Amino acid sequence: MKKSIFLLSISLLVFAACSDDYLDTTPNGQATSAQFWRNGDDAVSAANALYEPMIDEEFYGHSEQTFEICSDDFYRAGDHGEDQAIEDFTFDADNSQLRHSYKFKYEIINRAHAILINVPDIEMDQNLKNQVLGEAYFMRGFARWRQHVIYGSLPIITEENYINNEFNQPKPTVAEFQAAIEADWLMAADLLPANYSGVDVGRPTSGTVNGFLAKFYLYVDDFDNAITYGEKVLNGPYPLAESFADNFTIATENNPEVLFAVQSLDNWKTQDYMIYTTPRPWGGWDFHEPIQDLVDEYETDDPRLDASIFKPGDMVDIGGDDGVQEYTADLSSTGYHFRKFASWRESGGLNGDQNIPILRSADVYLLVAEAKIRRDGAGAGDTELNAVRTRALGEGAAISGADMDDLIHERRVELAGENQRFADLKRWDKAGIIDLVAHFQIDRGQFKPSRTFMKPKHYYFAVPQREIDLSNGVIEQNEGY
Amino acid sequence: MKQRVQGIGYKMAMLLFLSLAPMIKGHGMAFYHENGHEFQERTITGQIFDDSGLPLSGASVQLKGTTNGVTADFDGNFTIDVPNSEAVLIISYIGFKTQEITVGDRSFIKIEMQTDATQLEDVVVVGYGTQEKTKITGSVASVSGEAIENVPVPGVSQALQGRAAGVNVIRNGGAPGQEGKIRIRGTGTVNNSDPLVVIDGVPAGSIDDINPNDIESVEVLKDASTSAIYGLRAANGVVLVTTKKGRHNQKLSVTLNAYTGFSNAIKLLEVLEAPDLVALKKERYTNDGIAGDPIWDDPYYAVQRTNWQDELLGTGMTNNIDFSITGGSEKSAYSISGGYFKEDGMMKSSYYRRINFRINSDHKLTKWLTFGENMQLTRRNGNFLNTNSAQSGILWSAIRFNPALPVINDDGSYSSSQVSTEFGDINNPIFTVDTNDSENTTTRLLGNIFTELNILEGLKFRANFAVDGIVKDDYGFGIQVTDQIRQNSVNSLGRRYEESYSLLSEYYFTYQKTFAENHNFKFVGGYTTQSFKTDWFFASKGNFSNEDEAQRVFNSGETLLGIDGNRETIKLASFFGRLNYDYLGRYLFSAVFRRDGSSRFSQENRWGNFPAFSAGWRISQEPWFESSLIDNLKLTGSWGHLGNQNVDPFQYLALINTNRRYSLGGEQVTGASLSRIPNLNIGWETSEMTDIGLELGMLDYKITAKLGYFIKDTKDMLLAPASLASLGTATIPDQNIGAVRNNGLEFEVGYNNSFGDFNLNLSANASFINNEVLDLGDTGFLQSQFYGRPNQEISRTLEGSSIGTFYGWRTDGLYQNTTEIDNDPNIASDERRANGLIQPGDVRFVDLNGDGQIDSDDREIIGDPIPDVNYGLNVSLGYKNFDFNLFFLGEAGVDIYNADRMQGLDPTYPFNMYAEALDRWHGGGTSNSIPRMSTNRNNLNHRTSDLFVENGSFFRLKNLSLGYSLPNEVLNSIGIAKCRIYVTGQNVFTVTDYSGMDPEMGYIDGNLQKNVDYARYPQARTFTLGTTIKF
Repeated sequence: MKKSIFLLSISLLVFAACSDDYLDTTPNGQATSAQFWRNGDDAVSAANALYEPMIDEEFYGHSEQTFEICSDDFYRAGDHGEDQAIEDFTFDADNSQLRHSYKFKYEIINRAHAILINVPDIEMDQNLKNQVLGEAYFMRGFARWRQHVIYGSLPIITEENYINNEFNQPKPTVAEFQAAIEADWLMAADLLPANYSGVDVGRPTSGTVNGFLAKFYLYVDDFDNAITYGEKVLNGPYPLAESFADNFTIATENNPEVLFAVQSLDNWKTQDYMIYTTPRPWGGWDFHEPIQDLVDEYETDDPRLDASIFKPGDMVDIGGDDGVQEYTADLSSTGYHFRKFASWRESGGLNGDQNIPILRSADVYLLVAEAKIRRDGAGAGDTELNAVRTRALGEGAAISGADMDDLIHERRVELAGENQRFADLKRWDKAGIIDLVAHFQIDRGQFKPSRTFMKPKHYYFAVPQREIDLSNGVIEQNEGY
Repeated sequence: MKQRVQGIGYKMAMLLFLSLAPMIKGHGMAFYHENGHEFQERTITGQIFDDSGLPLSGASVQLKGTTNGVTADFDGNFTIDVPNSEAVLIISYIGFKTQEITVGDRSFIKIEMQTDATQLEDVVVVGYGTQEKTKITGSVASVSGEAIENVPVPGVSQALQGRAAGVNVIRNGGAPGQEGKIRIRGTGTVNNSDPLVVIDGVPAGSIDDINPNDIESVEVLKDASTSAIYGLRAANGVVLVTTKKGRHNQKLSVTLNAYTGFSNAIKLLEVLEAPDLVALKKERYTNDGIAGDPIWDDPYYAVQRTNWQDELLGTGMTNNIDFSITGGSEKSAYSISGGYFKEDGMMKSSYYRRINFRINSDHKLTKWLTFGENMQLTRRNGNFLNTNSAQSGILWSAIRFNPALPVINDDGSYSSSQVSTEFGDINNPIFTVDTNDSENTTTRLLGNIFTELNILEGLKFRANFAVDGIVKDDYGFGIQVTDQIRQNSVNSLGRRYEESYSLLSEYYFTYQKTFAENHNFKFVGGYTTQSFKTDWFFASKGNFSNEDEAQRVFNSGETLLGIDGNRETIKLASFFGRLNYDYLGRYLFSAVFRRDGSSRFSQENRWGNFPAFSAGWRISQEPWFESSLIDNLKLTGSWGHLGNQNVDPFQYLALINTNRRYSLGGEQVTGASLSRIPNLNIGWETSEMTDIGLELGMLDYKITAKLGYFIKDTKDMLLAPASLASLGTATIPDQNIGAVRNNGLEFEVGYNNSFGDFNLNLSANASFINNEVLDLGDTGFLQSQFYGRPNQEISRTLEGSSIGTFYGWRTDGLYQNTTEIDNDPNIASDERRANGLIQPGDVRFVDLNGDGQIDSDDREIIGDPIPDVNYGLNVSLGYKNFDFNLFFLGEAGVDIYNADRMQGLDPTYPFNMYAEALDRWHGGGTSNSIPRMSTNRNNLNHRTSDLFVENGSFFRLKNLSLGYSLPNEVLNSIGIAKCRIYVTGQNVFTVTDYSGMDPEMGYIDGNLQKNVDYARYPQARTFTLGTTIKF
């Protein structure tokens, strides 16, 4: 019996040795939001995160460029079934391309909200604080700008909605949506510095914002403001690069003309658009092939053709064992590829240092030229148009009395492949400058046959069906879908 | 005589043994006559053997009617004095049938003891103890080690397939080492539905690194009353694995097992040969009125050169060798085993190896103190080829790679679809497998030590400590690829290294007592904690100037591509108790309670209580119950609450990822942003389960049957609700908003009889389980992974139907002519008709919502991947030294979405097509199901539709074995106790209407996508030859 009592007490003793705080564990490796937003470093880190979504394959790495296959510049190529319907204007709201890039724009907006909510309370250098807040305003406006160009209007998630996790919001009118973009960009233009040096190059400047504001105002036919904000860029430290090709050459890709670009760095974080736009045997996936109609648009000896498009006979150094290769027509269905977004390492393989330009001063020159022509008539925009034109073709190529036809031509060859053309065509149609239905009816050969553009339906793409379904009726579909 | 029950494993089958009892009696001995003299008082000797011919030490030999008795020595020998020839010896030993033997005129008696199925099976392993089988009031399925012995599969989960009602094992393809998914009584949640695996009392992750030949028995706890003792981890059921132990007073015995075999593809898909492919590709252009690609006019590509499936799928090989040594003295018993399993898959270069080593022992240190340990060391390694992707999967690629291309070009290089964009975005599959360099290695040490104190009569205290340490090392080298279409411009080495270990301690009391003779009580109660720590890192370097094998180490790479790592700690603390009470063994009752705390949840939501109750009535024990037919009739019922905590931890916290990569000014920068929105109220999932069972034994247990009905309601199911993309890319936390119901019927029946030398065992089981999602929160459905290139939704989980149903359009044949198109009300207001985009030979989709156009609103559920019934059927025959076993399994009432065929018939992709495409529509009346050739997708003929839903029912001879045991007379002379030679076949034949490679499809995306054909690694047909030798 004694033994039993002894054993029992031992057992109970062991048994009783349980501890209360045994279950307290903490997650490793990730900060909780309560531990963040402490200082200027955290604010800058949050600002860096604003740009990171842009480089995703499903945003500027590819998907955002897919909306441009509706234009008359290039053939979709590639092997994405859903792209054909986009190109043919037969897509419905369920087309997967419509949803790929959708969430990334909202992600940028949400990251901007987080900054605008938390950074004002951080004790830090005021200039740096202004810059970070400016970056957030700009990027929120930029994300909404892309939404506007593609969808017209989408739900606006406000800072308050964000704090309260209220993500199901209705779409405002297009005008209200535009106002939100304008407000953010006007704030950003005041807060951001005119330029950067060193590791900050690539952040938006006040010039970036003014350039976008010029574009914004031109899109809403506010010529005065388009000129006012555009000229701030033209008169600012954002000169055109010496050579057109500098903008697409790794060594000079961050020259002052490039107001905004997706920044790419080899072996760190690289854009995929270079893979999409290059021939398969050269390491690419062979999407978005320029068509003959675009090549024909270039004037004889326009160096922009060589800098923008690979064509048969071009000798291209793709590095490594392959070295210099001749571009041949069988590398592409149309016979062409874009060359703006890719170059090759010396050791072979696509060079991940290649950026994707989103806004250049040359674009702003042409925006101002267009605003002047449309406000004051042919010839009013000669100076700005010729600045772009003569940079490429030489002083002798200057024209006078330039009208909208000249302007349209110049925009097409200067900005080919830079995701501008389809949006330009739509706004010119809305302004009565061209008839887009007739324009797309033209048969441009096997790779751009006659297509049916329906007005007003195709001014905007459909809101992804998934969002409509999930919103339980809160989000309304765009007209015609 | 020897009773052979190879291949029978069901708990029920074991019950059947009971009916053999009368037959076995009296056959257990051999007589040695000596001259026919009658002796008076004399001394006789004898030797006792077990049923495998090994001497049985420690058996007791008693002279009937006296207290005189002796114990057999280490070699089973005994000597005893008997008064006369009529003297009767009673020979008994635990686990064996007691025999009475009349001495007669012999002076030496050889006695062979028969295993007593009734006794051995008398108790079953349950959580924290054992229970008498007759007193079980819940639902437990037992599979004996014998049933899964030497089945040529790499792991236990595969071996359990079809062996017990309500226990469904889903095979995710047939890659070497591929584990099966165990689902107990349906899929209880859209989240992790894997059961808790408990190995020799230690809750431990994987069941598949145990050598199936080391297993004594597997018990599956199916209902709440048996599993609730594991509380927060029990909602998906509990699998208890008991490994083989040594017996005390047992002579050392050595068993050797070896088998070797070959495996081959069951079926290849018929794809187009080059000339037909060219013709069909051209037909597209003709139909579309466009010029077409000149490559199809090149005669080189109209010559058939390669059947890529033939090239990829060869003959695989499976080898296994293992040994075990068991024995025991009065104080100690031990079992030591080791084995090596080697599988080379039929898909070129795929392989899997397993080395395992085990020591189990226990020691009776004193009368009141027992100490023991179980130790398992396993090393598994294999490569895992990508066969899950419909964009780059290897078999998927082989089906589609151009058949005019040779494997190797004349210049010695691999052929490549870089030749033309018409050959698709596919790498040469043989190039891919030949250059694949990856290996996953898992090393695991699972060990526990326990000690048991006998405090008082009936009161015991047990402490158990365990460590489960796992090291995983995943290695992969990607060579630079420039000559294939999917290139890899930078070669790179990636390695992920993970150490995880779990520490368990548990302390519990067991108290057993009978009051007033007939009131039997048994109580188990205790406390346990378990921690799980995981620590991993991943590193990757690129730019290896030399790709030699010897240079595929980090030191040789020039560029650091990335390095990451993290740690995680999860802890559980629990109190548990179980009370069993019965009166006269006739009225049974049990109550179980567990209180669990989990560090996965916030302090406020951490602790949960899990009660369960059960009752049973053994009707056949009632005095009024008199039946010569029925031996056993028991009615049971149980109810309880169970939990599932298998979800991401810490979701109550908002997390910020500070490592978002971007570059500015040509320099690396990192950004920080919210990575997860918090849910402050998150908790575990709860299942409420009700179970009713009926157990029957008839005709001396020759016929047995079990019938069960259950309802399992999962509440508070954790879902990250399908959320609007306006949330951005941050992870949405799970919320306790969903509900799923599984209910069903389970049957097990068995028949067992002997006719002279001929033994017959038949058993069958079936489960009819209905799975219904009751609630998914606001949005009402869950999407799953989209399919391949077309990025197509196939599986959608909706309220009111099963998990992962197929969701798409209904079709009504093809348009045969333009009149049909013009008059079709389905597309009355569809603008594509007006624009001439719908052509004869296109699919007529049904306008379900009647708005005159075909769009995403016209979809509905078009198929169900969850079978109405799963069943298994076992036939065992024994005749003298021969044994023969057939094991069938099947599913019925189940659909498969043949996505591979959908894409295989789709002419808009630059791939090879199924040979069936020759039967396409090419003029009025030529086909009503295979659309015309075209390059455009205006009508999306190959969208997700009922055209590609197939009946997935199948009936498969899963395992066949034929064995022959060499006669004892032959063996004894050479010192061998037992020798059996056998052949087995796996997947010998399959009866199915399914047109794809293998109707056993498995999951692709958690539980949310099942039975969608991605052209995964198919199961093979395997034949093996093996032998078991026992010394």
